[in-house]
Amino acid sequence: MHASPRRPGGARLAALVLLVLPLAIYSFLYLMPIGSMVALSVDNGELGRSLVAFRDADRSDANARAAALLTDMRAMDAGTQGATARGLNQNLAGFRSLFLNTARKSGDIEPTMAGLVAFDPRWAEEQYWQVMERNTAPFTLRHFGQATGLVLDDNGRLTAGGDDIYVQIMWRTLVIAVQVMFVTLLISYPLAYAVANARPRFAAFVLVAVLLSFWTSILVRTTAWVILLQTSGLVNAFLLWTGAIAEPLQLIFNRFGAIVSMTHVLLPFAIIPMMNVMRTIPKSQADASRSLGAGPIETFLRVYFPQTIRGVAVAAGTVFILALGFYITPSLTGGPRDQMVSFYIAAFVKESLNWGMASALSVLLLGAVLVIVAIYGAARWAMARSGGRA
Amino acid sequence: MKVIGIATLCAIVAAPVAARDVTIAGWGGNYQDAQREAYFKPFAAKSGANFTETTYLGGLAEIKAMVDTNNVSWDFLIMGGSELQLACDEGLLEPLDWEAIGGKDDLLPGAAMDCGVGNVVIGNGFAYNSEVFPTPPQDWRDFFDRDKFPGKRGVNNTPQFNLEYALMADGVPPDQIYEVLATPEGVDRAFAQWDKIKDLLQYWESGAQPVEWLASNNVALSTAYNGRIIMAKREGKPLEFVWKNHVVNMDGWAMVKGSPYKDQLTEFIQTVNDPENQAKFSSLMPYGPSNTLAATHLSPEIVAGLPAGDNIKEAAFMSDAFWIDHLDELRERWSRWSTQ
Repeated sequence: MHASPRRPGGARLAALVLLVLPLAIYSFLYLMPIGSMVALSVDNGELGRSLVAFRDADRSDANARAAALLTDMRAMDAGTQGATARGLNQNLAGFRSLFLNTARKSGDIEPTMAGLVAFDPRWAEEQYWQVMERNTAPFTLRHFGQATGLVLDDNGRLTAGGDDIYVQIMWRTLVIAVQVMFVTLLISYPLAYAVANARPRFAAFVLVAVLLSFWTSILVRTTAWVILLQTSGLVNAFLLWTGAIAEPLQLIFNRFGAIVSMTHVLLPFAIIPMMNVMRTIPKSQADASRSLGAGPIETFLRVYFPQTIRGVAVAAGTVFILALGFYITPSLTGGPRDQMVSFYIAAFVKESLNWGMASALSVLLLGAVLVIVAIYGAARWAMARSGGRA
Repeated sequence: MKVIGIATLCAIVAAPVAARDVTIAGWGGNYQDAQREAYFKPFAAKSGANFTETTYLGGLAEIKAMVDTNNVSWDFLIMGGSELQLACDEGLLEPLDWEAIGGKDDLLPGAAMDCGVGNVVIGNGFAYNSEVFPTPPQDWRDFFDRDKFPGKRGVNNTPQFNLEYALMADGVPPDQIYEVLATPEGVDRAFAQWDKIKDLLQYWESGAQPVEWLASNNVALSTAYNGRIIMAKREGKPLEFVWKNHVVNMDGWAMVKGSPYKDQLTEFIQTVNDPENQAKFSSLMPYGPSNTLAATHLSPEIVAGLPAGDNIKEAAFMSDAFWIDHLDELRERWSRWSTQ
């Protein structure tokens, strides 16, 4: 679309607004959940809003703290007590039962430190009070701390030295996505070439074969791979029968299985953009190159391939970004060392109701994607510039 | 176009408000088929209500979303015991009126809860293929013995039950496992057992996988639910469940908070507690009854495949209280251990 020289006025402006409106609504609907996800990753409202009297109590006076805690407990309804207990238990295992048992009897407990300790001796342990003190603010960095392996020290600063399991998982997610991207490109380049250049009947056959699997449910496709690749599956049975192997190979529930099944799911996303680009390259170019003395390999490398790079780049970007978010397929065909970050996000949402942690991991994944897209954009820009100069 | 969009949105938002049938969520498969015969149909006949069914896959996320958004589309559901207690603590379930329901003393200890009732007694142990191992494995020591019983092990990818199994293999008596597991040294002991066979593990997600894997010799031994193995045995597969030191837990029924069918709650709970209905369920699906009176309605052949009677003499009983406090922490440690 080229810019209009006239200033938009009246009906034109209305038309423009109407045209832009769906985009604005869509962007809002798209950005709002992302915003709430970012907010959730640092939100500590469940604890911060429920421990209000405790927050204002004098820290040096143990009895005042105990009385304030009991006041807070009495002010909470059952659901808030449960949510507070869950948040505290995420900080320190065992806090849930201590908090809930005390909260349910909070009306009968003498509002002093001695009264609390008489009810449950664990209240004499300083660690429980420390956890509550760390969580009186409405915001927290503990989810990001846990996700990045950085720990919150007593002054509330982040320092290295925690457990970096989620950093390892994030790295593994990137590695798997890159592996899948390369395998997918290697397989789909020749297929795309065949669809773009073969006789129409053969091209249609390949395209239908690719699209047929595209239209099949992801669960069915994944289960098919389990049947093919398992220890007593078709592939192993065939290899044993030919005598190529003596013992069945472990082809599934490991990285190999995860990459094979993810590649299969993602093939159409690579073939279609590459095919579209390849179809625009006139066949006469190859003939011209050959007539000027280049062999078939040189023709491919210097004439054909450079023109397809645009399609390859689109395919690579699409496959990589889609692969980053994979969850069901690797969880059914990979081993525990091949689970990607989405698996852990889902587990936090579904199993432990720790939406803060799930949001923190999602924010990190989103951040990784943005960084990679930025690098990719910068690389293309640099290439375009240097290409322009040459 | 936009009008249609808004109208659709309104229809989606408004739909659940309109009267709907009683909706029951279960674990699906044979398990839910048996419950339909034993509980849903008698309940519908007695109360005159129509019911529809849906599938629940565990976790609290769906229920919390329903309650938080005040859009309750399920009424009754069956949950694992510790999740039921968690959901109750979070205020996601309707409390039960045990005075009106009655019969509390006939139930197993721990079955009558504030917001639900333990209904299905499940044996969590391990199984083997009797064609592969003519001298069968006896106990958890054998499960962790890679020389005596070589080959891969199917294991559920969770610390729950698995840490208990490991401690029993290390010689901890079934009634002391939770005392030991509550100490850091006890947890280290359990993980040390798993270290011995870590390279042999193949993780299952659904209860059907151990049966498939054992029957097709994909794994040599696998942890499993007793019901799946006994069902496979009835279908003629050469599988055996090891009853020694299995861990017993209970699934229970509850109602989502804010359900429009609250009036039917007492009647539904009475239906699932009824000893004859429970006996019918256990004869269709080999899991144990929570009503101690149900055993009189069952034949000895059926009881032989249930976590009941002689089979639970050496069993451990899962502590919901322990797991409610420690699941977050131990799940994190387990996933760190299993992914490295």
